[in-house]
Amino acid sequence: MSPIAARLLCLSVLVLVLAWSIWLAQDAGGRALSFSLVAGAAFGIVLQRGRFCFLCNLRDFVEERDASGVIAVLVALAAGIVLYQAVLGAWVPVPQPDRLPPNAHVGPVGPVLAAAAFTFGLGMAVSGSCLSAHLYRLGEGAFGSIAALLGAAAGFLIGFSTWNRLYTLTVFDDPPIWLPGIAGYAGATLAGLLVLGSIAWLVLRSARPAPKSEPHAASPYEAIFVRRWPPVVTGLLVAAIGAFAYLRVAPLGVTAELGSLVRTGGLSLGLVPETLVGLDTVRGCVSAVKAALLSPNGLFVAGMVLASFAAALAAGRFRPSWPGLSGLAARFAGGVLMGWGAMTGLGCTVGVLLSGIQAGAVSGWVFLVFCTLGAVLGLAARRRILRAG
Amino acid sequence: MTGIRGIKIFSAVASAMTLLAGQASASDALVDAKWLQDNLSNPKVRVFEVSVDTGVYERGHIPGAAHLDWHTDLVDPQKRDIASREAFEKVLRDAGVDKDTTIVLYGDNNNWFAAWGAWVFEVYGLGSQVRLLDGGRKLWEAQGLPLDTAVPDHADSTLTLAERDNSVRARFVDVVAVAEGKHDIKLVDIRSADEYEGKIFAPEGVKELSVRAGHIPGAVNVPWGRIVNEDGTFKSADEIRAIYAEKGVDGSTPVITYCRIGERSSHTWFALKKILGYDVRNYDGSWTEYGNAVGVPVNNIAGTIWTGK
Repeated sequence: MSPIAARLLCLSVLVLVLAWSIWLAQDAGGRALSFSLVAGAAFGIVLQRGRFCFLCNLRDFVEERDASGVIAVLVALAAGIVLYQAVLGAWVPVPQPDRLPPNAHVGPVGPVLAAAAFTFGLGMAVSGSCLSAHLYRLGEGAFGSIAALLGAAAGFLIGFSTWNRLYTLTVFDDPPIWLPGIAGYAGATLAGLLVLGSIAWLVLRSARPAPKSEPHAASPYEAIFVRRWPPVVTGLLVAAIGAFAYLRVAPLGVTAELGSLVRTGGLSLGLVPETLVGLDTVRGCVSAVKAALLSPNGLFVAGMVLASFAAALAAGRFRPSWPGLSGLAARFAGGVLMGWGAMTGLGCTVGVLLSGIQAGAVSGWVFLVFCTLGAVLGLAARRRILRAG
Repeated sequence: MTGIRGIKIFSAVASAMTLLAGQASASDALVDAKWLQDNLSNPKVRVFEVSVDTGVYERGHIPGAAHLDWHTDLVDPQKRDIASREAFEKVLRDAGVDKDTTIVLYGDNNNWFAAWGAWVFEVYGLGSQVRLLDGGRKLWEAQGLPLDTAVPDHADSTLTLAERDNSVRARFVDVVAVAEGKHDIKLVDIRSADEYEGKIFAPEGVKELSVRAGHIPGAVNVPWGRIVNEDGTFKSADEIRAIYAEKGVDGSTPVITYCRIGERSSHTWFALKKILGYDVRNYDGSWTEYGNAVGVPVNNIAGTIWTGK
């Protein structure tokens, strides 16, 4: 595709998204849908331009000692904690352990969450990306991501079939721990920033200096539309989109719609239990039975994929590709693990890790630890298999 | 100093006048969005949102409105009952409600839970101070009127609530007596026709069901939605009167309203009691109590049999 054609197509996609959002915002009920679409589009642009992918960022650091991606994640978490304060402080002026902020992703903390996060981490390593990155990669033309999403759908089905047993085993009793409820807003914020700061210090200490790969300084056009955005900018933008989305519609998450589609479809085929016990009482990206065609989360994801497509076009990074059979199989298998993990853990790296830590939920931190563990082990195993092969 | 005091007195008089003028134009039981907008800074008006969807109030409410949580503030969180006098009194004192406060309620879901709130206020003797925002949250949003996220902090009042007035509340035994034909009281079942006729046990998407389908013998079926307009506002008093008269409910005999859990029927209770002025009690036990009770008469037109599924 010629650069001019790519730019024209990019512009048309963005105009389409904007026109759709204006059309959606006609009535009171549509305003949340409209906002979700636009927020998803913003998120898609930032992910694509900043290459904000939990697994690639981790892999860059583990394998190349390149810290820039990990710093973007840490900045997103730290800035998110700070920006969330503006919303939380207004909604729950006096934080108490038993009064959780509305809709915040403060999930139940227990062994099931740890297992789900670990499985999710393993799945990202196997399939090559976390779920949110598969979505933005789809916009870049990586059609292999469809295999990962199909795998995730299968994983959700398995998750629904194991949910009732896991819920009655421990989840019913696992407390949703909200840090500001225990330590107050100041205490929880300081503690969160201290931990993130320490991780950043450790990461930067062992990082290699970035290679001087760019021979010339970028023009403003290149800096915005072509080159990868700096990690701090990307992190700040992710945090801002997260806090604004929480204020207006719901915390960020990318799996609720996928889960809803699978649950609704599975129900009609008799593959999903009629009742998923307690699922309505826990917090996170909960898969509700679909009641309307358009949902905020569905539009968020649609906006994400479309805008990432537009951003990739402008950057000259839209490269349609199909992986080979083994690549498809790995993506699918990793998708299954991620699907089970996201259903059981009530979200993914975005819904539980990002939105959870930003809101002061212990569940977010638990997900961070066990998901990283799973991903690091998965990456190591993958390297060994590739070397042996 | 005198200047400032003068302005204060002037503004207090002005707001009192607005209040009086507004009341004169609105119906006694209802206020419209215009009236509420004019009275948002009136110190003698307290607005409460009673919404059930989580995050709705926090993401933006009518400026100055406080939140009444249906699950904890208006009911007893332990046993199935309305809020205890002590608990409700504390909530109202914290919100600065006094004997001369005009209380305006509104909410999501067609004002169902706001109407439940109005009924609870009535039980505790504050009914004459309560108004419902006609059309509720839906109409306010549809008109694009301002919303605010700030939570008001009013000075506490020293309000003392009266003991419960059971003349607006029907209990199980009262309803059974009516079903057995012992009293000349009209029962109004406001659920959907399918629930009334016994084709289904509960509306779609609702978990709590009764092990029997149908309705209380003698009840007439007037689904709640019949008395509201497209935009969620109540129809005119004359229209509402005619709709019920058609079903033989004309105010000449006392009325009891019920639904599934007593909240949608509060909406009808509000219309019959507060707009038409009939003698009406709300049966908050409703079908989830009656339809599970052993040995009481039931009229199941469809004949649907409960099979435990």
